[in-house]
Amino acid sequence: MSMYPLILAFRSLGRNRRRTLVTSGATAFAGFLMIVYSALVAGMMRTMERSVIAFEVGDVQLHARGYRDDPDLYRRIDNATALADRLSKKESGVYAAPRLYGGALAAAHEASAGVEVRGIDLLREPRVTEIASAVWKGQWLSGEDPRGIVLGKKLARSLGVAIGDEVVLLGQAADGSMANDAYRVRGVLKSISERADQAGLFVTEAAFRELFTLPEGHHEIALTRGHATLETVESIALAETRGLPIEVATWRTIQPAIAKMIDNSMAGRVIMLLIFYSAIAMVILNATLMSVFERIREFGIMKAIGVGPWYIGRIVFFEVVLQSCFASLVAIVAGLPLALFLERHGWDLTALAGDMNIAGIAWEPVWYAFVDFETVALPILFLLVVVSVASLYPGVKAAIISPKEAIYQR
Amino acid sequence: MILTLAWRNVWRNSRRTLINVVSIALGVWLTVTSVGLADYSYRQMIDDSARMGLGHVTIQPIDYLDAPSLKKTIAETATRQESIAAHRQTRAAATRITGQAMFASASRSIGGSFLAIDPKQESRDINIFLRSLVEGEAFTNSEVRAVLVGEVLAKNLKLSVGRKLILTAVDRHGEVVSELFRVCGIFRTGVVEIDGRMAVIPIERARQMLHYAPDEATMISVFVDDYRNADVVRDLLATVIPRDAASVLTWRQTQPELASLSDVDRGMNYLFLFLLGLLIAAGVLNTSLMSVLERRHEFGIMMAIGTRPGQLSAMILIEAASMGFVGLLAGAILCVPWAYYLIAVGLDMSSVMGEDYTAANVLIDPIWHITLYPGRMFAIAAMLFTLTLIAALYPAFTAARARPIESLRDAA
Repeated sequence: MSMYPLILAFRSLGRNRRRTLVTSGATAFAGFLMIVYSALVAGMMRTMERSVIAFEVGDVQLHARGYRDDPDLYRRIDNATALADRLSKKESGVYAAPRLYGGALAAAHEASAGVEVRGIDLLREPRVTEIASAVWKGQWLSGEDPRGIVLGKKLARSLGVAIGDEVVLLGQAADGSMANDAYRVRGVLKSISERADQAGLFVTEAAFRELFTLPEGHHEIALTRGHATLETVESIALAETRGLPIEVATWRTIQPAIAKMIDNSMAGRVIMLLIFYSAIAMVILNATLMSVFERIREFGIMKAIGVGPWYIGRIVFFEVVLQSCFASLVAIVAGLPLALFLERHGWDLTALAGDMNIAGIAWEPVWYAFVDFETVALPILFLLVVVSVASLYPGVKAAIISPKEAIYQR
Repeated sequence: MILTLAWRNVWRNSRRTLINVVSIALGVWLTVTSVGLADYSYRQMIDDSARMGLGHVTIQPIDYLDAPSLKKTIAETATRQESIAAHRQTRAAATRITGQAMFASASRSIGGSFLAIDPKQESRDINIFLRSLVEGEAFTNSEVRAVLVGEVLAKNLKLSVGRKLILTAVDRHGEVVSELFRVCGIFRTGVVEIDGRMAVIPIERARQMLHYAPDEATMISVFVDDYRNADVVRDLLATVIPRDAASVLTWRQTQPELASLSDVDRGMNYLFLFLLGLLIAAGVLNTSLMSVLERRHEFGIMMAIGTRPGQLSAMILIEAASMGFVGLLAGAILCVPWAYYLIAVGLDMSSVMGEDYTAANVLIDPIWHITLYPGRMFAIAAMLFTLTLIAALYPAFTAARARPIESLRDAA
């Protein structure tokens, strides 16, 4: 293939520099916006996924059969601690922690609230989730402080309690007796999920067992996948529990709304790309059409001396592609550093908003981006496809010029 | 004269103009759609959230917002509710009691919240629980021992219509009190956090249980037709209610999460539209600039016969303005059937977002409709028109700088 169409295309771009500059400037700007936008959306999705996995749910959960449908104090996994240790695979970073759940009424000086008491294995839980680092005020649970409890942010507010205040828990123990004990607030969590915010009350495993008179068994085992894939961890859990009355579920089953949102975020990104790039397609279409019409005589002469229509079409196509490649380069040079900056420092929206929750998961108003090959490649690839399509009409128009008419045109 | 000239110039290269008109029209269409969809969803979320208990404007005890407690109450609710409900600016008002409680059935106990209501003051219009009953019926008497429970709560407590539930709470003196209720209805709002934690009981029964006086309650929820008027109504009510008796708050203050969410979403939306507008403007700039450069010869002649540079600039600006105007008009024509469709039928997004998508604890309707506020539409038109004009400034300036002699010689 001859290089001439490329060279000709390059030269004709230089003919009207201002137009080329405006067109490629607009294209570069759109590409830049879309790189940053993609990184922000990807970042938001990762933050949501991480909030689910890292603070509360973990990657995979195990429950006694029927517990998820009907959470009952009596529906327990036996020997859960041993099972959790068997499930942990240190070499791939897979860890498991058993948990306990029970309902109670928490009464403080001013108010009372229904709570979900969560019994925490202080040794194993920190390997699975980062809940210990989600403490907003005060401190996380400690084995040396069996009466210390940690509360969700909204719960602390509705009970009107601060660090050091007393909270009385009332509930029904496993043996049918009245569970009743006094505790002291040791910490308050930041927003992690609506459920934990409104009703989460964390106690040590020992304190839970004493309150509910529950000497053995656990309600849940949470696993973190480490470097392993979700599927691997799921199959490890399935293999370990074969034959036992235990159900295995990934976080995607437990938080379907979030999983669906993350799955659909790609569709949202493509729609946004289409919208912005259709505006750019118009700009390019117009500029290219103009440049084709300005050169109608030239193209006519070229055809008259025997240049084929494909050759002429290629010149126009190369003009657009050259321009867009240049624009893409500018877009990457400008967009990537900004996206990386936002990945590291985040976009602080606290001036605009306080805490929010989407699909029950807390989202703090500092928006972190996430950059990988795809967040950059997708907008650029899409851009090149869209502009190529936009160049078709002017290209064809130039290619099918009838030499006679073109030369006679003024 | 200039006007006629400009108008004729616009249509000289009709293909070029058409492409710009189409891109402006598409801009109008996109902007109207996205702003309309957003305004609809904010309205739906804010109204639904108001119906969950607090109303658009809430009259509640002083400091209740910072530390809610059943010990804090407001008095004289009967007379206040009547006078507020009768007010021209409000749609409805209802006296309610809300608090935390423990619900127990024969099988187990779960913590949650209760809302006590007076059936005479309520309607499906202002109460989401009455609106979303899926089983049984609401109570009509405010003294019966009847309770409406959320679907998830009912499931977890293994309750069905006719079964018993014991509600335990702390009364106004700080004593633990319990009361037996019978389930008369089950509701499904679609928000798991609500359906799994909420029960609705009659207000007189709640007052007896909590040892409240007959016209004591924790709030009066006030509803307005348009949530954007909440501030006006709050200010109005603040003049009627003594400052030391209660505080009057809008939904923005009582539900800061919802306000944050809609503010951030709106901010992003506007930013996005502005950037899109910039791209459209780049197209206009290009066209306008090319048409100026093409006509240097003409401008030279015009200046040679006495046209002043200012007139040339004005002509270019008018050209851009008329192109913008035609684009807006085309966009408006495009939008009418589309908007009509979206208002009447809506876009069914349930396959994409599911039927259980929530934000700030409000269910988002998977059928997307739009709400068009005239002020907002005017602002969109003004923004696009202004951007078009700004884009034409540089070409207009270029045209005015043309020197007759050089222009004539260059172009010859």
